[in-house]
Amino acid sequence: MCVCFSDFSSERSVDVDCHSVEFDDVRYHIQFSQKSPQVMMLSLSLPIPPPEAAFINGLPLGAVDAIKIAYGELVQIRDPPKDGYNLTIKLNLAKLPRDEEQKQAILVKIASVREVVLGAPLRIVLKHLALRSVAPNVDQVIALVHRPKESIFLIPQAEKVTAVFPMRFKDSIDIVLATSFLKEFMEARRAAQLSNAPLCTWSPNVPQDLRGVSAEAVAANAGFVTFVIYPRHVDGSKLDRTTWSLLTFHAYVSYHVKCSEGFMHTRMRRRVESLIQALDSAKQEMEKSNKLVQGNSFKRLNLKDHRR
Amino acid sequence: MDAASRPAVVIDNGTGYTKMGFAGNVEPCFIIPTVVAVNESFLNQSRSFNKANWLSQYSAGVMADLDFFIGDDALSRSRSSSTYNLSYPIRQGQVDNWDTMERFWQQCIFNYLRCDPEDHYFLLTESPLTAPESREYTGEIMFETFNVPGLYIAVQPVLALAAGYSTSKCEMTGVVVDVGDGATHVVPVAEGYVIGSSIKSIPISGKDVTQFVQQLMKERGENVPPEDSFEVARKVKEMYGYTCSDIVKEYNKYDKEPSKYIKQWSGIKPKTGAPYKCDIGYERFLGPEIFFNPEIYSSDFTIPLPAVIDKCIQSSPIDTRRALYKNIVLSGGSTMLKDFHRRLHRDLKKIVDARIVASDARHGGELKSKPIEVNVVSHPIQRFAVWFGGSILASTPEFYGVFSLYIIFN
Repeated sequence: MCVCFSDFSSERSVDVDCHSVEFDDVRYHIQFSQKSPQVMMLSLSLPIPPPEAAFINGLPLGAVDAIKIAYGELVQIRDPPKDGYNLTIKLNLAKLPRDEEQKQAILVKIASVREVVLGAPLRIVLKHLALRSVAPNVDQVIALVHRPKESIFLIPQAEKVTAVFPMRFKDSIDIVLATSFLKEFMEARRAAQLSNAPLCTWSPNVPQDLRGVSAEAVAANAGFVTFVIYPRHVDGSKLDRTTWSLLTFHAYVSYHVKCSEGFMHTRMRRRVESLIQALDSAKQEMEKSNKLVQGNSFKRLNLKDHRR
Repeated sequence: MDAASRPAVVIDNGTGYTKMGFAGNVEPCFIIPTVVAVNESFLNQSRSFNKANWLSQYSAGVMADLDFFIGDDALSRSRSSSTYNLSYPIRQGQVDNWDTMERFWQQCIFNYLRCDPEDHYFLLTESPLTAPESREYTGEIMFETFNVPGLYIAVQPVLALAAGYSTSKCEMTGVVVDVGDGATHVVPVAEGYVIGSSIKSIPISGKDVTQFVQQLMKERGENVPPEDSFEVARKVKEMYGYTCSDIVKEYNKYDKEPSKYIKQWSGIKPKTGAPYKCDIGYERFLGPEIFFNPEIYSSDFTIPLPAVIDKCIQSSPIDTRRALYKNIVLSGGSTMLKDFHRRLHRDLKKIVDARIVASDARHGGELKSKPIEVNVVSHPIQRFAVWFGGSILASTPEFYGVFSLYIIFN
């Protein structure tokens, strides 16, 4: 996305109409017209929310305010949004900062619009945590849209926030790999240099805190990951990073699962190759010994001779 | 919400560059070199399964399965440190190294397109000469590693034809001249089907042009650091290369007005950081010339490209030949050389006209044959024509019917 935007912000004399999809079923539609080269329309479609984390007017709680805070006067929200999308914003590129570095920073910010919108409720909770208070009139357990029809759960308290991720995977191999990955992940947290990181636990059963939630919402096949966030994790600039890491946790796990799958396949291929080599060398020795006994009476054909 | 409602992912893996993006768009999201930088040091030892090795890996903070880069990152990594080896997973249009290919796809999907492979149908491409085993293996990786819901593997030349499909006419008959970085194929297609027996491939491709430019610069003694010379030659080819109409005339032009034609190249030596300068002269037009006069480059293969195309059409079924001459489509990055299509058209026309004159003479002027129309089609998206064709094809609703699903595959 980021590359995309820096590309568009430069002078271009063509109409651009570009669709793009990101993980967790977030879709973008970027329109850029030749007639008004300083205006870009960006439409965003969010994953379908599960019943426990319903949207207000198609957007998560506090999203509109979050957009206004993040982008200021650069952005105008179009009401109603484009058909089939949750949000349409109008970007005025003339208002981009002149300074190259600042411009890049704001472009990255625009490219991560999903975090601003989807993470709005999370941000509210974490901001209150930084002040060591609980946001007024929120439930004991907050459900947050994470993936289509899946949510994560936040349990806000004055001195800590607990985030619970029910992990779901479609493929049976993925489930196994993800489970062992998460166990290792929990182990790695115990290392001395990570003692400041948020507490992380993995359990195969539904954690105690989620007893009140419907069974369907907490049905997970790769266990539950729980992070405990303390005020020191949301100090100043750390807030952005924490929000981003929490929101993209599922993508992070699935990325690693696929990576290790690829790596295992590499090793499996090597193993097969070495076994075939061992077989081949054994065969040749056998042929030699055959020759010694029987002389040159016959030649054993192998696969290569057939091909010739 | 099923995967068919989302745009399909279209990835065209070429020998030189990979083009990837979502169906329905006009341009691919990314065009990156098809190259992977791998750190082999841990991979080779790990077969012994000894504990000490794992510990040393662990304490070094290295995750062997994540220790690789693709595309431009890979190139810069390998230049700056010696622990990474470059691996080119595709050679001459065929997948050569499945390990790195799998990793390459993994990065393409997760780090570049940033999408979940379980959510999208995939359209991949293959060269017309790909063996069925290789197609099967691609399917295996796509379905079993990435769990894609559906996969379609299209033939590159057909997609290149489809790229011209929407703009003006529904023409699915034509000859595709695909000059990529690693392979050059001349593929006749009739009504959307490849005429397999008439495919001609020639051993001269974009990489050879680069090598020839490199060789010419080396022979003239230009001041280019040897470790960088291939990259410089590639950039020279891409930025300054063009096709001339006549070599002798072109030489004269250069000799008369060297200041107008000879360009300057300046760069920085990667090892010492010292700047250097060199001249670019005749190689600007001599590089592309190897397609039309291959004997200046190699003595093994001496048939010019236009003659190969003519031979290809002549070996196709007789009723398709006129249509094939009428629609010669260029695709692949190396056809982007300036005036390439003009030269091709002129040379081909010459061959065809000569044949008509000869046949008229044979008939003693009694029968006049209808002149043959020769058309070389060139469009600005040639560089990723295959990708664009895939994007169009995958955005049509009927297309989801032809995707092969996992159940069928198994």
